[in-house]
Amino acid sequence: MNMTLKALALGVSATAMIAGSAAAEIDYGSFPDYTLRVKLIGGAQYEPLYAEIGQWEEATGATVQILSRQNHFDLDREIKQDIAAGTLNWCVGSNHTSFAPQYGNIYADLTELIDAEVLAEFVPLVLEHSTVGERLVQLPRHSDVSNLFFLQSLYEDEERAASFEDEHGYPLAPPETWDQVRDQAMFFADPPDFFGTQFVGRDEAVSGRFYEMLVAEGGELFTDDWEPAFNSEAGVRALSWFVDLYDAGAVPAGVPNYLWDDTGLGFASGSVALNLDWAGWAAFFNDPDESAAAGNIGLVRAPMGSAGIRTGWSGSHSFSITETCDNKEAAASFVTFLTDHDRQMVEARRGLLPTRTRVWETAMDEFREGGDEFMVTVFETYQASMAEDAFTPPLIPEWIEVSNVLWPQLQAAMVGDRTPQEALDAAAAEALIIMEDAGYR
Amino acid sequence: MLRALRARQTALAPLVLLLPAFTVMLFVVALPLAFSFYTSLTPYRLIRPETIEIFIGARNYVRLWDNPVFWAAFWRTILFLAIALNVELLLGLGIALLINRLTWGQRTLRTIMMFPMMFSPILVGFQFKFIFNDNIGIVNNALQALGLTDRAIPWLVDAQLAMFSIIVAEVWMSTSIFAILLLAGLLAMPRDPIEAARVDGCNSWQVFRHITLPFLMPFIFIAMTIRSLDVARAYDIVHVMTGGGPAGRTELLWTLLARVGYDNARMGEANAMAYVSTLLSIAFTVFFFRKLMAARRYMGGAE
Repeated sequence: MNMTLKALALGVSATAMIAGSAAAEIDYGSFPDYTLRVKLIGGAQYEPLYAEIGQWEEATGATVQILSRQNHFDLDREIKQDIAAGTLNWCVGSNHTSFAPQYGNIYADLTELIDAEVLAEFVPLVLEHSTVGERLVQLPRHSDVSNLFFLQSLYEDEERAASFEDEHGYPLAPPETWDQVRDQAMFFADPPDFFGTQFVGRDEAVSGRFYEMLVAEGGELFTDDWEPAFNSEAGVRALSWFVDLYDAGAVPAGVPNYLWDDTGLGFASGSVALNLDWAGWAAFFNDPDESAAAGNIGLVRAPMGSAGIRTGWSGSHSFSITETCDNKEAAASFVTFLTDHDRQMVEARRGLLPTRTRVWETAMDEFREGGDEFMVTVFETYQASMAEDAFTPPLIPEWIEVSNVLWPQLQAAMVGDRTPQEALDAAAAEALIIMEDAGYR
Repeated sequence: MLRALRARQTALAPLVLLLPAFTVMLFVVALPLAFSFYTSLTPYRLIRPETIEIFIGARNYVRLWDNPVFWAAFWRTILFLAIALNVELLLGLGIALLINRLTWGQRTLRTIMMFPMMFSPILVGFQFKFIFNDNIGIVNNALQALGLTDRAIPWLVDAQLAMFSIIVAEVWMSTSIFAILLLAGLLAMPRDPIEAARVDGCNSWQVFRHITLPFLMPFIFIAMTIRSLDVARAYDIVHVMTGGGPAGRTELLWTLLARVGYDNARMGEANAMAYVSTLLSIAFTVFFFRKLMAARRYMGGAE
């Protein structure tokens, strides 16, 4: 570790003690006339951070050239093309926990580039999730895990509560289990004007949702020797939850085609009672200019499945440094800057979950001082969730491919083309071929 | 001796003149095609570049033969092509005939008509995804407000409606291509045969059926050829609106190819799919070119 990065480590530690210090006070090194080539994830949630890049350029004398700025799925394709063409002539790339294992050894081990003191500022579990094969290939930027938003007014109507208790034999209260979510969603639903809940229904989004329900039901994706095991009884119970709600019309009829924007905008329209979602939507949901549900939102930890485990599918957006980078020192300085205390506060104010331990506290203090009790509740809930419930999909290169054979079958069960057991058996057979081809069995 | 040399030079001249074109064709078309065909004979994975050196013969093609997902997408693409092309033709022809009758504002309308073509397919996909959204979409809200239904119709989920919705988006974006080409045909059409037919007592339908339509047929088949190549590669609109789902109900060849080639990184297998898919495009092109030649013969044109 050279002197610059040691200074950087000290500087960042100092930042943790003096929240709010400017980037200029930390020594991020000096790289005059150097051009750092980067490929970053784009989109409304991610762009505000990039407005800070000028400060790093000013502090170090380097220039950042953004070669690509697009959604993660397109960025993933571009990186795969770069690997195939041998054109990894850039230094820093956006990455994600679910995608990182696919890329083999193209990214450097950050424990060799960033001081241990800096890394110690991050939430240990999140760093663990950023590690692939004992190599820390990502520096986490912000995390995602989902908790349950609900319309508070639905629980304040005594007549409705009595009717629910008569029907189901227990008091109406924000749900603690997924069975209660099913009961309440069906109870609240009044299609096509109002729906009990909703879920994403395609791509890796629904694979992940199914996966966390599978875990909450006590099931597992693979056995210890990598045989697909999601077509178990627990798997059928997990998938039946989605199918039951779809059959009952308690979710919008279009959910098999929904992605994150659809569920977020749906809840903000005020026409959905319960919505499992990430914290990035929280500020939007409670903004009266954007959301019909503003001022009427409650939040609880993600409910538990029949195994007593809460759902907690989690991942982190992150930055990685290529092994082929011509100036890893500058790249390390850049990713450290983008994930430092002040930069994480830029994202935390928008509801994105920080990956540095101290930023959680600073953000909550700031919300309290501003009288924003809703965002305090959001951060407290998600902090508990990240600490106790979060788990990732298997960190293997084949996860995305297995997901691609799984989600069409989940949809087939939802729309009634197959029973849950038939759908999961079909997906397991295809997943087995993938695992055999990859040499796991 | 000199004459022989000059004769040889004369004989070689066309070849020399064609050489740049052949060189460009070799590097731009033939070599990439040969390379992608080679990769279809390997287990090539984008994230494992070294796999391009493993030769597995026709294994990808043999796997494809037994792959029901691929063949379902193949036949669905043919159905999609047949419906989209014919609807676009009928609407395009109708629009061209109507605009051709205008004596005022024709240029403005011709320009307005081209607007949908100017949109990126991705934007068109998002636009129609919103229009057909079951919960907050315009179509369902309009139908419910008018009292025509009291339920949320799952436009992008139902087995028939999902494909219908995608066809509507495709037709909206591309009908103007047919309309423009057919309007060009109508504007180039000589007036004499039509006037002669009218003098002979033909009604409007007879004039259209026996004079206008035969004259337009070459234009129709050129438009069909161009659009069949376009539609067979339909990707953006489907990807945005349904992602090929739900449960593969709207999976077309190129959404499947993109998933296998990029998301799953199995480029060797995807290239094998692409080569089989190319047969579809060749078949449609040959079919429409034969029809084009037949139409030109009917018109007495040169072959």
